[in-house]
Amino acid sequence: MKLRKPVTLILLITFFLACAGREPTPGVTDTEILIGNIQDLSGPMKELGMALPHGSNLYFNYINDKGGVHGRQIRMTMEDHQYNPQKAVAAAKKLIEQDQVFCLYQIIGTSPCEAIRPMLEENGIPLVAPATQSGTMSDRSKTGWKYIFHTDTGYDKQANILVDYAYELNASAKVGVIYQDDDYGENVLEGIAEAEARHGVTIQKEAFQRGATDFAGQVMNLNKGGATHVIIGGIVREPIIVMKTAAAMGYAPQFLGISPTMDHRVALGSGEAGEGFIAANFAQLYNSDTEGAELYRELFEKSGTDPKVMGMYNFYGFITAMVLVEGLERAGKRLTRDGLIKALEGVKGYDGKGVFRGITYGPNDRAGTEAVVLVENRGGTQRIISDWIE
Amino acid sequence: MKGRYDEENLKWIAPLIILVIVLPFLLRGATFSYRYYLYVLNIAGIYTILTVGLDLLSGYTGLISLGHAGFLAIGAYTSAVLVDQAGVPFGLSLIVSPLITGLFGILVGFPALRISGMYLGLTTMGFGFIVRRLIIALRTWTEGSAGLEVSKPVLFGFTFANDWHNYFLIYLFVIVVVVFARRVMKSKIGRALMAIRDSEHAAQAVGINLVRYKLFAFFLSAVLAGLAGVLFAHTMRFISTDHFDILLSIYFLIMVLVGGVATIYGAVLGTLFIVLLDFLAIPLFKDWLASFMAVQVADIQSLIFGCIMFLFIIFQPMGLYGMWLKMRIYWKLFPFNPKIKQT
Repeated sequence: MKLRKPVTLILLITFFLACAGREPTPGVTDTEILIGNIQDLSGPMKELGMALPHGSNLYFNYINDKGGVHGRQIRMTMEDHQYNPQKAVAAAKKLIEQDQVFCLYQIIGTSPCEAIRPMLEENGIPLVAPATQSGTMSDRSKTGWKYIFHTDTGYDKQANILVDYAYELNASAKVGVIYQDDDYGENVLEGIAEAEARHGVTIQKEAFQRGATDFAGQVMNLNKGGATHVIIGGIVREPIIVMKTAAAMGYAPQFLGISPTMDHRVALGSGEAGEGFIAANFAQLYNSDTEGAELYRELFEKSGTDPKVMGMYNFYGFITAMVLVEGLERAGKRLTRDGLIKALEGVKGYDGKGVFRGITYGPNDRAGTEAVVLVENRGGTQRIISDWIE
Repeated sequence: MKGRYDEENLKWIAPLIILVIVLPFLLRGATFSYRYYLYVLNIAGIYTILTVGLDLLSGYTGLISLGHAGFLAIGAYTSAVLVDQAGVPFGLSLIVSPLITGLFGILVGFPALRISGMYLGLTTMGFGFIVRRLIIALRTWTEGSAGLEVSKPVLFGFTFANDWHNYFLIYLFVIVVVVFARRVMKSKIGRALMAIRDSEHAAQAVGINLVRYKLFAFFLSAVLAGLAGVLFAHTMRFISTDHFDILLSIYFLIMVLVGGVATIYGAVLGTLFIVLLDFLAIPLFKDWLASFMAVQVADIQSLIFGCIMFLFIIFQPMGLYGMWLKMRIYWKLFPFNPKIKQT
C-alpha cells in the first residue's frame, strides 16, 4: 500500500513527460515535410523567382520518387515578397503561423532575409540556403545567426578573390569596380575594402542604381581613371550593357564578375564585347561533367520543361535543395527543428555530387562553402578555367 | 451658444476604443495564426497615422505629395540612429524624431509656395528619391543600403517585445492622431487650410497667411509621417531603403483617395481597406485563380489596385467614407427616400 503513492506519482510524471515529448513538430507528419520558400514573383527579380524553385522541385521530386526522406515526402509551399523586406516578414509569418512549415528555405534577397532574422530567433525556425551570396548571412554578430545556414561563398569573399586574381594576371594592374548600390553592392564593397588594405592600393569605385540601363558615365570614368581590370557587381543585364558600352568607347579592360554575372545569358548577350569575360562562381557549372550536373540535366530533360529555363539560376535551386535534403537525411526519423540545426552543424565537406568545393558547418560556423571557380566566356559559351580558389 | 465641436458626433469613440482593445483577443480566440493578422493590423495602424497626415496635406489643403515614403524613412532612420547609436530613450525619440521629420517637411514645403498640382507632385517625388540616396550616402550611421537592425520599443521600463504588445502601442497612437486631426481640421487652422485649397486668392483676401499655413500643413503632415516612421522602425525591427520606394508613396495616395479625401475617417478606412486587401485578400484571390488557370498570376496586385482606383474615382469619388455617409442618410430617411436621379 505504501508503494502506491510514489508509483502513481512516477507514472503521472512519465505520462506528462511523454505527452510533452509527443508534441508534434510543425510541418512534419508521418508522410510529409512541409517547407516554406519566399521568392520574388512580381518584383525586380521575378525572373529568378520562377527559375530557382523550379530547380529545387526537380530535386525534391527526384527524392520523393525514391521514397522521400525517411519515408516522408518533401512539399514546398511558396510566397511572394516582391523584393520588399516588409512583405517578406508578412510572408514568413504566414508560412510559420498559418501554414505551419517545418523550416524556411531559399528566401531570395539580402534585405528580405535580414528583415526576418528576429522571427527566426523568436520561433527557433531554421532558414536553409538563403538565395543571396551576401557574406552578412553568416555574420555571427547579427540576430538569429544560429538559424541561418548559408551555402554560398560571400560577395565580399568573391570580390577579394577577384582583386587577387587581377594582380596575379598583371602585377601592375589598376583595378576598378562598378557595383549596384544596394545591399549586394554594399557587401562587394566590404570585400574590396579588405583587398585595398591588403594590397595597399586604392580601387576606383563606380556605383549604379538597381535597374539602371545606362552605364556610359561610369564606364567613361573608369576609362578616365585608367582601370585595366574592372570588377562588375551586377546581375545579368548590367554586365552585358557595361561591356558593350566599353567596347563602343574603344575601352577594353579585362572584365571580371561576381557570381550573379555568371549566368550563361551574359555570355550569349554580350557577344564580341564579352569575349574573355571572367566570372567567379561558388559551384561547378550546370553543363559540367560532375555527377550533380549530370543528374540535373537528366532530370530536367525528363521533366519536359522549356529548355530556356535551364541555366545557372535553375541549377542553383537544384544544388541548394541537395544541401537541405542532406540535412534532413542526417536529422533522422524523429525530425525536429533543433534536430535539423544539429544535423546541419555536423555537415563537413559535403560536395553535392561534385558540385561544391565542400560545404562545412559547425556550432559556430554558418558559412557553407568559401571557395570559387573562375568561368570564362569564349565564343558565346562558358568554360571553367581554374581550380577551386579559396 | 453652440460650441466649436458640437457638430461632431463623438459617441462612437468609446465603442471604437473598446473594439480596438477587444479585437486582438477575439482574433486570438478565433484563429491560431492570429499573430499574422495582428502583424497586418499593425502595418495598417502605422500607415493610418501617415495617411491621416497625408489627408491633412493633400485632402484638406490640396497639396499633392508623392514623397511621403521619404518622410516615413526619415522618421524611421532618425529614430533608429538616435535610440541605437546615440543612446536616446525611445520615449524621447517618439517626440524628437517626428519633429526633425517635420523640419524636413517645412523644407519641402518651400517649393509648394510657388508650385502646385502635378508639378508639386513631381517635386515631392524627387524628394522621395533624394531621401533614399541620402540614406545610402550616410552609410556611417545608416549602413547604406544593407539595412539597419533596430531595437525593440521600451517605454517606462516596459519592453514591447512582440506583435501583441506592439498592437496596443500603435493603436494608442492611431486613436490619438485621428481624434487630434479631426479637432485640428474643425478649428480655425482647418478652415484656413480648406480655404487655401478652394481658392488661394480668396483665402489671402480674407487675411489668411498663405506662407504660414502651407508650411504648417507640410510640417504637421511630416510630423505624423515621422511618428509613423518611429513606430515602423522599432516594431518592424529592420529597415532598409527597399522599404521606402516610390510605389509606397503612391499606395499612400491610393489609400487616401479610396477612403475619401478630406474626411480623416476616410484615410483610416482607406488604409485598412488597402492593407487588408494587399496582405489578406489578394493572396487568397491569387491562390484561387492559380487553382484553375495555368497563368502566372504574380503581377495581379498592381492590376487590382489600378482597377480599384479607377472604379472608385468614377463611381464613388467620395470614397469609402462617402459610401458610409450615403448609407447613413438612406437609413435615416427610410422609407421616405427621395428618388435621386443621377445626371
